[in-house]
This record gives sequence, C-alpha cells and structure tokens, in this order.
Amino acid sequence: MPNRRASRNAYYFFVQEKIPELRRRGLPVARVADAIPYCSADWAKLVSTPLRKPGKFIPKPCFSPPDMSSLSLKSDQALLGGIFYFLNIYSHGELPPHCEQRFLPCEIGCVKYSLQEGIMAVFHSFINPGEIPRGFRFHCQAASDSTHKIPISNFEFGHDQATVLQNFYKFIHPNLGNWPSIYCKSDDRARVNWCLKRMARVSEIRQDIELLTVEDLVVGIYQQKFLKEPSKTWVRSLLDVAMWDYSSNTRCKWHEEHDILFCALAVCKKIAYCISNSLATLFGIQLTGAHIPLQDYEASNSVTPKMVVLDAGRYWNQRVESPGFSHFSCSNQEQRSNTPSDDYPSGVKIPGQNSHARGRGITRLLESISNSSSSIHKFSK
Amino acid sequence: MPAWVSRDPWRVSSPRTCPGTDRALTLESKGSKSKSQTAEEREVQDQGQDGNKGVSSGDVGSTFVEKSVKIRQDCMDLGVCTREKWAHVRDSKTGSSGIPVKLATNLFNLDLPQDWQLYQYHVTYIPDLASRRLRIALLYNHSKLSNHAKAFDGTILFLSQKLEEKVIELSTETQRGETVKMTVTLTRELPSSSPMCIQVFNIIFKKILKKLSMYQIGRNFYKPSEPVEIPQHKLSLWPGFAVCVSHFERSLLFGADVSYKVLRNETVLEFMTDLCYKIGTSCFTQMCEQQLIGLIVLTRYNNKTYRVDDIDWSVKPTHTFQRRDGSEITYIDYYRQQYNIILSDLNQPVLVSLLKSKRNDNTEPKIVHLIPELCFLTGLAGQATSDFQLMKAVAEEMRLSPLGRQQRLARLADDIQRNKDARFELETWGLHFGSQMSLTGRVLPSEKILMQDHVCQPMSAADWSKDIRTCKILNVQSLNKWLIVCSNRAENVIEGFLSCLRRVGSSMGFNVGYPKIIKVQENTAAFLRAIQQHVDLHVQLVMCILPSDQKNYYDSIKKYLSSDCPVPSQCVLSRTLNKQGMMMSIATKIALQMSCKLGGELWAVEIPLKSLMVVGIDTCKDTLGKQVVVVGFVASINPRITRWFSRCILQRTTTDIADCLKVFMTGALKEWYKHNHDLPARIIVYRDGVGDGQLRAVIEYEVPQLLSSVAESGSKTSSRLSVIVVRKKCLPRFFTEMNRTVQNAPVGTVVDSEATRPEWYDFYLITKAACRGTVSPTHYNVIYDDNGLKPDHMQRLTFKLCHLYYNWQGLISIPAPCQYAHKLTYLVAQSIHKEPNLELANYLFYL
Repeated sequence: MPNRRASRNAYYFFVQEKIPELRRRGLPVARVADAIPYCSADWAKLVSTPLRKPGKFIPKPCFSPPDMSSLSLKSDQALLGGIFYFLNIYSHGELPPHCEQRFLPCEIGCVKYSLQEGIMAVFHSFINPGEIPRGFRFHCQAASDSTHKIPISNFEFGHDQATVLQNFYKFIHPNLGNWPSIYCKSDDRARVNWCLKRMARVSEIRQDIELLTVEDLVVGIYQQKFLKEPSKTWVRSLLDVAMWDYSSNTRCKWHEEHDILFCALAVCKKIAYCISNSLATLFGIQLTGAHIPLQDYEASNSVTPKMVVLDAGRYWNQRVESPGFSHFSCSNQEQRSNTPSDDYPSGVKIPGQNSHARGRGITRLLESISNSSSSIHKFSK
Repeated sequence: MPAWVSRDPWRVSSPRTCPGTDRALTLESKGSKSKSQTAEEREVQDQGQDGNKGVSSGDVGSTFVEKSVKIRQDCMDLGVCTREKWAHVRDSKTGSSGIPVKLATNLFNLDLPQDWQLYQYHVTYIPDLASRRLRIALLYNHSKLSNHAKAFDGTILFLSQKLEEKVIELSTETQRGETVKMTVTLTRELPSSSPMCIQVFNIIFKKILKKLSMYQIGRNFYKPSEPVEIPQHKLSLWPGFAVCVSHFERSLLFGADVSYKVLRNETVLEFMTDLCYKIGTSCFTQMCEQQLIGLIVLTRYNNKTYRVDDIDWSVKPTHTFQRRDGSEITYIDYYRQQYNIILSDLNQPVLVSLLKSKRNDNTEPKIVHLIPELCFLTGLAGQATSDFQLMKAVAEEMRLSPLGRQQRLARLADDIQRNKDARFELETWGLHFGSQMSLTGRVLPSEKILMQDHVCQPMSAADWSKDIRTCKILNVQSLNKWLIVCSNRAENVIEGFLSCLRRVGSSMGFNVGYPKIIKVQENTAAFLRAIQQHVDLHVQLVMCILPSDQKNYYDSIKKYLSSDCPVPSQCVLSRTLNKQGMMMSIATKIALQMSCKLGGELWAVEIPLKSLMVVGIDTCKDTLGKQVVVVGFVASINPRITRWFSRCILQRTTTDIADCLKVFMTGALKEWYKHNHDLPARIIVYRDGVGDGQLRAVIEYEVPQLLSSVAESGSKTSSRLSVIVVRKKCLPRFFTEMNRTVQNAPVGTVVDSEATRPEWYDFYLITKAACRGTVSPTHYNVIYDDNGLKPDHMQRLTFKLCHLYYNWQGLISIPAPCQYAHKLTYLVAQSIHKEPNLELANYLFYL
C-alpha cells in the first residue's frame, strides 16, 4: 500500500480536530471520514475559527499550493478577522515543588484581539489569593514587592476566585458554542495554566481551556503570510519591547495610579501592541488607537483618555452596526454570534474611544515624527 | 527549640548536658541520618552547605570511597590542584620586580609534629540508634575514649592518636538501661595535608573559640559578653572574628579577621508594643507583618538567627506543642525547663520561621515557632541604612584602622594562648599556636598614564584626576547631535551645566555640540514618550535630567535605550546639577562618562605584550527572577587595551557557572579580527564572581568552553589562553609596620609567598587605597595558563589592568575588564532584565 500518511492534508487535521466537538453534539463519528460531511461547511468559513496550533494548518513552503495569490488572499482574511484572546495571571510568587499550592493567583488580565480590529475588549480583575500557606508570607511578600506589588492580604479590590473565573468565562465565552483558544507568553504558561485549573477547582466549574503560546501564534501568522518560519530571536525581540511600558491606558487603573510596571492587563495589551506593530502592518492594516497607544504620540491629546466601562450590550451593538465596521461583520458570521448580547461582567471594558482614532492617528503620527526617526522604523517594520 | 514539626523519639534526656553537643563536624553519613535535626545540627551543616551544589563533594580527595563526606566549600577548593600542571610555576611562582616590603599579616603559625596523623574510625551501634545526639553522648561518655582528643558526628570518629586495635568493641548503657554495643573500626589514616584534616582543625578551633565564650552565628564567632553599645540608636555591636585554618604556602596557618554583628537592643515584642502605641490596633497586625516579615532575629538563649517568615496570631505562649517524645508542653513550660526563662507576656503571638532544607531534595521545610519576647532584631532595616548619623556611628565603630585591627588580633592570640581550656584542647590534638606571621611582599613600580600628547606620572596612583586635568584624552568622536530630556523644573540649571560641560569637554579634547532640549512633565511615561518621539538614527546620545532617583525613571529609560532602540544614554539627577560649587568636577566626570559611551578612549598604560586580548567575566543574580543569572563578558578589541567589546546574557540556572562563554569568546575573537585583521596571540581571562567551592566547576566547565572557541577560531596557530579567578573577598590582610605602628600596605603591593597556597599559582595584589579603615587585598588564582608568562609579568600586567577603568581616574581593586563586566551585569540585573542590543556592544554604554 502506498504511504497513506502523505494524503493527510490540512483538511484532514481540521476534521480531526472537529471530531470531539461533533461527538459532544451527539453525532456518530468514529473516524475522520465520518466527520467530513459535518465539517465541510465549517471548512468553508474557516475564517471564523481562531487560529489553533497554527503550524498544523499551514503548508510548508516546499509543497506550496499552486494558486498562491488567491490562497494567500483568502487566508489573509481569515487571519485578519480571527479573534485571539491574550491572557495573563499574576501570582504572589511561586512556592517550592513540595507545596500543594504552587501559585497564589492575584491578578488576571485578558484582551480580545484581532489583527484587523486591534484590541476589541479587555477584562481585568484582582483576585483574592486566599490564605497564604503558613510560613510563606515572606516569600510571597518578597515576590510581590519585586514585581506587581499587589498587597498579599487585605487588598480591597480582590474578588473571590469563583466570581473572577465566572466573569472571565463570560468574557471569553459569552454564548454557547466553541471555546476560543487562549494565548499567553510561553514563560507564563505554566503559571497561568496552574492558576486557571486551581480557580476552576475552587469554584467547581469544569472547563478545560486550551492555553497556547503567543510565540507559536506569531510564528503561525508569519508562516501563513510569508510561508516561511521566522527566527526565534525575531519572535522574541518582537514580543519583548519596552517602548509601551509606560503608555497611557495600558496598565490597569490601580497599577497606573501607583505607577507600577508589572500589571497582568498591561502584559496582554503589550502583546497586542507588539503584534499589531510588527505583524498587522505586514498585512497592510492601518494601525488605530486600538492597535497601539497612538494617543500618546499625538501632541494635542496628552491627557489620558478615560477608560470607558461598557455598561451594556447597547454600545456594542451600535459599534458593530456602524458602517465603519462593515468589513468586520460581513467577513464573519460567527464573530457576530460571539458578540455579547447580555451584560458584561464586571471587569470587562471596551476601549471604545480609541477606535474613533482609526485612520487618522497613524498618518498624523508619521508626519509628526518624520525625518526617518527610529520610531518610524518601528512602526513600519 | 520549641515546636519542631518532626521530632526525634530518642530524645530521652536533655541532650544539652551531654558532652557531645559541642561536636561540630560538618560530616554527614548517609545511613544514620535521623530525619529531625535541631537547629544546632542544622547550623553545623550550613557552613558546608550554602552556596553552589554543582560539584559533588565526592570529587574531593580521591581516597574517600565508602562514605559521602560533606566538606566545607572553601576546603573543597583546596583539593583543586592547578599549579602542578604548569611547568613554569611548578618550582617558583614568585615575581621579582618592585621594592621589597616587610608586611605583617593576620595569620598565625600553627605547628604540628612532623609525623602527625589523623585517624578516621567508623562507628556502628547495635541496636541501631537513630538519634545522633544519643550516639554521640554514648561514645563521648565511654571511659575508653575519654582521654582522647576526638571529633565525632555520629558515624565518623576522628582521633589524633591511634587506638591499640583496628576494631574495638565497646559496650555501654543508656539512661533507660538498655545496653548498646558500639563497634569502632579504623578506616583511614590521614596525613596532616589532607583536606579532611583542615576540616577537623576548623572544628577544633570552633571548640576553642567557644571556650573563649565566643558563639558561632552564621559562619563567624562573636563575643556577646563585650558588646559595643550605640545607645542613641538602640544598637549594640558584638565583636567577633571570621577564622579559618588552612594550609598556606609553607605551613599550616590560622587566619582571623575582625567582624561585627549588628544587633538592635530591642526585642520583637518591644517593637510590636511600640508599633501598637503608634498606629493603634485597627491595622496593627497588617503593619506588623509588613514591618517584621523578612527581618532576621536572634534568640539570645542559644545565639541562633532566624528569618521571620510569618507571624502566627492564633498561637499563644500558653498553647502547647508536641515534643519529640510525643508529650505535650506549653511554650511557657518549655522555656522555663529548657532555658530557665520566664515569659512575661502570655498573649504574644509567635513568629514563624522556615528552616532551610539542608539537602536539596525538595522535602518539606521544617517550621519553627519563636517567641517575640525572646527575639532580638538584628542588622539594619532599610530605613536605618539611609540614616546618615546612624550609619556614621556604626561605621566609626566597625571601620577599624590597621592598628585597631592589629590590637584585636593580638588580643585574640593572647586569649587562645592563655586560656587553660583552649590550651588543653590544642595540646591534646598535638597543635601548637604560634606567633603572628610576617612576610615580605613587593611594591610594584607605579605606572605612567598615557594621554593623547602627554605622558603623566601621577602623584598618587589612587587618584590622578588632578594630574590629568589639562591633558587631552586619547580619542573621542565629537558629540554633535544629542538630546537632553528634562522636566520643566530642571530647566534653569541646564544652561549653566551645559556651558560647564562644553568648557571641560573642549579642554579634554571632546567637542560637545549644542543639544536639542526637550522639556517634559515629571513622569516616567512623559520621559519615555519624549525619547521615543525624538530619537532618530542620527542621535548620538540622550541625556536625561531625572527629577528624582525613583527607580522607574532610570529603569524605563535604560531599558528602552539599551535594547529597543540602541542609543547611548546618560542619566543625571537634577539634584546633582544644583550643587553649584562642584559644577566643574561634576561636569568633568559626566563628560568623561559620555565620551566613553560614545566609544571614546580616555587613557592607556604601557602594555609590553603586543596582540594581547584581555577579558573580564562576572555574574550577577537578576533581581526579578531568582532563577536567572546575568553573565557579562567584556573583551578588549585593540592591542592598546582601550576599546572594549561587551556582551551579556541571561541564563536560567541557579548556579553562577556560565554556559555561554563559547558564543561570547567567538564573538570577541571575530570582533578582534575585524579591527586588527588577525587573531590575538594571547588571551587572558579574568573571571570574577566565583564563590566558595566553585573552582572545580570553573576549571572543568568554563575553561573548556573558552578553549574550544579559541581552538575553532580558525587560524593556524591558535591564541594562547590564560584564565585567572579574581576574588575580592579573602581572609588575609597585610600591614606595613612603621615606627612601631602599623599602616595599610601601599597600592601596588604584591604578595606571592607564605600567604598563598601551595597547590595554586596564586598571588595577592593591593590596588586600592583606603584613607580610612583597612584595605583588603584581591586574590588572583591562575587556574589555566597556556601563555607561560613569567609570574612577575602576570602580576604586573594585572596591576596595569587595574588602571584602565574609565569611570574612575585612579586605581581600582580589580582589573578593569572585570569591573566593566560587573557594571554591565549590574545594570542588566537591576534595570534592563534582558539582553542589551548588540549594536551597543562596542561602547561602554553601561558606565
């Protein structure tokens, strides 16, 4: 028999990934062939699924498909509309391996992001870490002091873990349907994963969230666009920049007020900025205030714009229906179904004002810092 | 010790009364180790345990086979013999140049009979006893051994005299009336040169110092009975010594250096009461935790130190805890019975301390409960260290002049010789405490400082800033396009400063153009934004006038300008620029620093070796992640040794041993090739930041990395390599005797005999002048030497390199490349936390 493996294409893997979900829906699928009829529709609108384990979908350059231009166009669109969630959870240090409790989650930050839209919504909350294991108070205090400086006890803004987790789930998964993939930096993955599991156990909510790394995502997007793998150093340098550290409207209110650099929300937002700055530009997207903190670079607008707390879905609907977002709504059906119709839980914010800056910020910016400044090479890399 | 989590069932009587408690072996046998250990035992092992675990102790002394014997880390280094490999130093490692000078030391002769030997025995018990204390007590109390000088850890017994038979069976009875059979078997006879003996000698001296009523706290010994009080700051200082017995070049020597323990005359309970009065009860517990947790306390009843890890508010002294034998006892009763201490406050909480696990095996740490009333605060809190008056008072007491130091040493020697018990202990072991040793060192000829068109012979090598004031620096590009970012408030000082800077710049040959001045609001974000907006490819340097020394400003600016957008930066506090009287000297320092950051060369010294590359390596722990070590590597890239190539990497390990040297070395050789179109004939690497016990790891792990990159560099005759381990912390001190008083040895003093080690190619060099206090020499240990330079040349080259640190117009205590590497790693570990951009590698951007 010829090598059957060779016939496994992207579609095969796509279907394979869908099988568990189909089974959950009660469909009789034993193997890939059974599942194909149920998946073809989804395949057609692949645009709607967030990029999962990007490497799997992407053909290696050596056997690149014949019609490159159309494919690249199609996948471009899929990528542009694809929604990613960037997540980070801070802990009061890491306890030694013999302890049952390895981390004490104290802050969670998450942003909803697409290349096209930039940051679409943010979620942030402080978490009550619970009782500190006896004898580890110094250890935890020292860890906190050297990073996020969140008080280890009696912190007025800390919410209990069950509430935070519920709100977080509402944020990433407002309606029934697929759970999105969540991305975090590879260095933080073990901690974030542990904290999520811990919080789920405490609050008795069973939901396994797939936690992927931002580094893989960047590699995936890059591969999709250029059909070659970027260097690890490039990816690391892309994600690890200091230029946004003190940008306005990046840290959470508490960390901003106390001028503390380490903030879980800021980590997520900075991932979004970095990806926007380096990758979105490759797709020819005009950067908006939702992509990077443009307002910082507009001399006239030196006052930090207030964060708008979204109180109801009313605002969201308005936003989706406004003509400015037409490409967004037509490109993607499921995205719409993902949009929240009910109240956002506390901690969720939509940076609404920033999106008004679309299309004018970057040009103004480029004018204001012309003369081949080094900032420019950052923006147009 | 109250409230041990795990307890020893064998604790039958108060073991403190048995003579075995003063044993102090840092030996550990695998089989008999009981699970629970007291703090006393713990501390005994600590001395051999902290620091790096990278090297297994089994390496030391090839004869140790049957037991895993733990050896003190510094003793482990002594087992590393590097000198015999190098023919040119096998017979003599002394230099010749310079004027001989007679030096007094803090080392004392320790005489042993010629044929002195140590006998090692192995002891087994039937029935097997788990308790080390009991094992020790039974052995010590046996009549057969009572007349012998001995050291015993529960399994291994050391005697200075041989027992009649090879195997001896002894029988004894416990207090419970059980009969125990002890079998003592001779396992080894050790000559006095064995590293094992050194360890036993150190144990003997621990006993002796105890007899002089000195107590071991940490590694050093202190005398609580003669405190120096500083009542106005509620402080007392316990005088004491750091001691060490070791084989030096020709004989066994005892070294002692003065040390102080800073204690606060305040118990934790008093501190808590004070705090409660001050802030009230509402947020008392919170404040208390905030202020106390992390501090080190000392319990005077046993002179042990603990870190406060937690406070347990639910436990009171009236509560009970379980003793080892399972019985319950209240804290009150425990302290009355054990130490005859009556607790007065029955409502105080208890402090919780985690004991460090001795073995690195992730077992659960033991928790100890301490009573605040009995805990004294030690050390100085952060607040106190910024109190100028307090620090001055402490420094006045602690910073001893050479004479004061000499007097203290003489008294210690006197005490050891006069004390009957101490003398008896020494005599039973066959040791004789001799006189203070003096030796002959040499003062190397002073170096000339080469400037652009002037050769300057400085009046004092310690500081030649006055001598070169009118001289032009070797080479620097002019500064045409640069920025000053300052807050609105700092505006008024800038004009004055700038004109000063331009004036001093032009006199040293550094043309400073007029900068673009950007005024911003006083916050970090505004500074960073202004830099991001205005820095372009042509900007040569950014100067930031910082409104305060808040770490945020410095960190964010350095982080952005060292990695994201590589441009040299100079941060100045606006407070500094307000000092009108000192403006000229401030401007000079800043101008020198700025010219270095632009790649300028300030001065040189005469280096007779052509085509020599010198390298400095240092490590530093990152302040954010405890698991991250920053390794810095700085290599010279021109024969005159005035231009440097600096690289740095963040390494995820717990040891200080560098992984990445191959990459660094290859990079440096490429850089050298680019500038000189050839490879260097010689490479000399100075490695700083090597801790106790890591010497072998450096030799076996780091040197091969360097060698392989040199070998692969591609030329027909590969460069010859030497590696020198630099240590600033070392015990010996050297004084010159003059007119019946003693003074610090002059700069340039080299010591390459007597105080050095026979198994190493090493020397001491004093390259720092101390106007107050006592100067300490730097120890250089040449662990690899392909170059075969004469020891004299190696010493002089090292001395020359101490002149080349551009941030200080004078000699420094270590070779310049090491200091550069230190500065680089410090900046990265403190502020940047990531690798600096490679584009900056050719500039001293981190000064």
